[in-house]
Amino acid sequence: MANFMNLIQNENMKIYRRVRTWIMLGIIVFLPILISLGVLAASGTDAGSSWSMMIIESTISLMLITIFTAVVASETVAGEFTWGTIKLLLIRPWSRSAILLSKYISTLLFALALTVITFVITLLINMAVFGSSDGEQLSSVAGMSNMEYVLQFYLLQFVSLIIIITFGFMMSSAFRSSGLAIGLSIFLLFAGSIITGLLAMTDKPWVEYILFMHLDLTSYINNAQGPFQNHPMSLGFSLGVLAIYFVVFNLISWSVFRKRDIAA
Amino acid sequence: MSQAPVVRLQNVTKVIGKRTIIDRVSFEVRPGEVFGFLGPNGSGKTTTIRMIVGLMGMSSGDIHIGTHSVRTEFPKAIVQVGAIVENPEMYKFLTGYQNLLHYARMNPSITKERIQEVIELVGLQDRIHDKVKKYSLGMRQRLGVAQAVMHRPKLLVLDEPTNGLDPAGIRELRDYLRRLAQDEGTAVLVSSHLLSEMELMCDRVAILQKGQIIDVRSIRGQDGDAATLEEVQFDVDHPDAALGIFEGSGRMVDGQLALSLDRAGIAAINRRLVEAGINVYGIHVKTKSLEDQFLEMTGSETIG
Ligand SMILES: Nc1ncnc2c1ncn2[C@@H]1O[C@H](COP(=O)(O)OP(=O)(O)O)[C@@H](O)[C@H]1O
Ligand SMILES: [Mg+2]
Repeated sequence: MANFMNLIQNENMKIYRRVRTWIMLGIIVFLPILISLGVLAASGTDAGSSWSMMIIESTISLMLITIFTAVVASETVAGEFTWGTIKLLLIRPWSRSAILLSKYISTLLFALALTVITFVITLLINMAVFGSSDGEQLSSVAGMSNMEYVLQFYLLQFVSLIIIITFGFMMSSAFRSSGLAIGLSIFLLFAGSIITGLLAMTDKPWVEYILFMHLDLTSYINNAQGPFQNHPMSLGFSLGVLAIYFVVFNLISWSVFRKRDIAA
Repeated sequence: MSQAPVVRLQNVTKVIGKRTIIDRVSFEVRPGEVFGFLGPNGSGKTTTIRMIVGLMGMSSGDIHIGTHSVRTEFPKAIVQVGAIVENPEMYKFLTGYQNLLHYARMNPSITKERIQEVIELVGLQDRIHDKVKKYSLGMRQRLGVAQAVMHRPKLLVLDEPTNGLDPAGIRELRDYLRRLAQDEGTAVLVSSHLLSEMELMCDRVAILQKGQIIDVRSIRGQDGDAATLEEVQFDVDHPDAALGIFEGSGRMVDGQLALSLDRAGIAAINRRLVEAGINVYGIHVKTKSLEDQFLEMTGSETIG
């Protein structure tokens, strides 16, 4: 059968030919630039080191990227139902699994693109505005260079992003309305992290198996016990829990989509 | 006539919840044939078509496209099929051309030249680079037909294709489908709840009611066996005497002798009337339209 790359090309076309996507890209590109220039205008070049500015802006941008990719992931399947195009998409010489995989990969590529853009923009703008001197050390771990810290920060953030996408993707295969899938994904992500924050204050051991306990992986860079004082965990444990969620979410997405009757 | 069917449904049944929506539907469509799938709204046409193209699973039975089962060899079966199920819904934020490119990329046999060819075929060349959101329903239908025929399918399935077309558009579609069947040997399956359209378009029709096929019949009479009987009225000078000759088979309608006959029968009766010394002033063939037959069969069921 034809080249699988063609399917990814199709999904990319459906992402990048939309105005919405370019608004997201615009925000990701210009927000760090505006913040850096704003700080420069307000307090001059001594205001901060370029590295700490980079981490602040990256944190903000990555939060937005989480929302943007959750939206794209939630819509990629459900949107085809909402638009009715699913009926034309699935009557091609491809298995449903292949079509779903192409959607999953193109959503991951979108997240990767936004993340790389954020890395490059925040690095360049802050070097340009605040200079390239190393400044104070970001990490409390002895001997860790700022570049090392930033790279670990991005890597761990991207792991969380993969899980968010997988979650949105599951919602997308489960619901036939893209509005519902998007709304519910975003709602569950916010509500989940708030409720988990409260639950984390209790000392129930099962709390440590909740997804939202493991989405702030960057805390492990400075603190081997993780983000929650009264629930000391390890990076390995968090990654293990996330791996289980990853498998379960994907199993649900695939089994729902492969069997379902298309009555859109 | 012994050509292998392009699509064959065998006892296809669909149960949703406790309701049997499609009940043991069987029929086949041969190469070069335009086959009508006729039934009132809600009779199960779309559901059957969804099963043919693999959008819905069957509860029992099987569907083959050529030699491949839709159930077990989906990609090999579906590669021979082009379809529009219900409305031709396209990506509105893409142009017509990008929509076609999207489906062309999914099928290895479609070249750029072929895309251009079908664009001209459906007459969209002036608007193909406009966003689909600016298209009228008629233009979307044309784009729908373009994506369905791009890969030269052996089976073309169109679900209520005349919806939203003006009379000229319907005529154009009809001529196109007939040409496609004749020239390229494509098997065409069209559904409709409009009987008049099916009569003009199809070689055979299956009549579907409440999920069951209640009749399959030829329309164009090319099958030989299907030389259908028609009601023929003879305007004669002595109807009573004429009726006497054909006691049993004849009837009196509006003061004329009425009989059910095929073509040869008309000539034979006319000869006997003349031999009996009865003057024949006129012979009227009352073709029973499919609509009448359909209404007879489905009783008072509303159509449309
Ligand atoms: N997903 C579904 N769940 C339950 N009933 C359905 C579903 N889809 C269709 N039906 C029912 O099946 C019957 C046939 O519908 P359909 O195939 O759309 O008919 P048609 O296309 O001939 O108008 C209708 O009574 C409809 O209500
Ligand atoms: Mg229908």
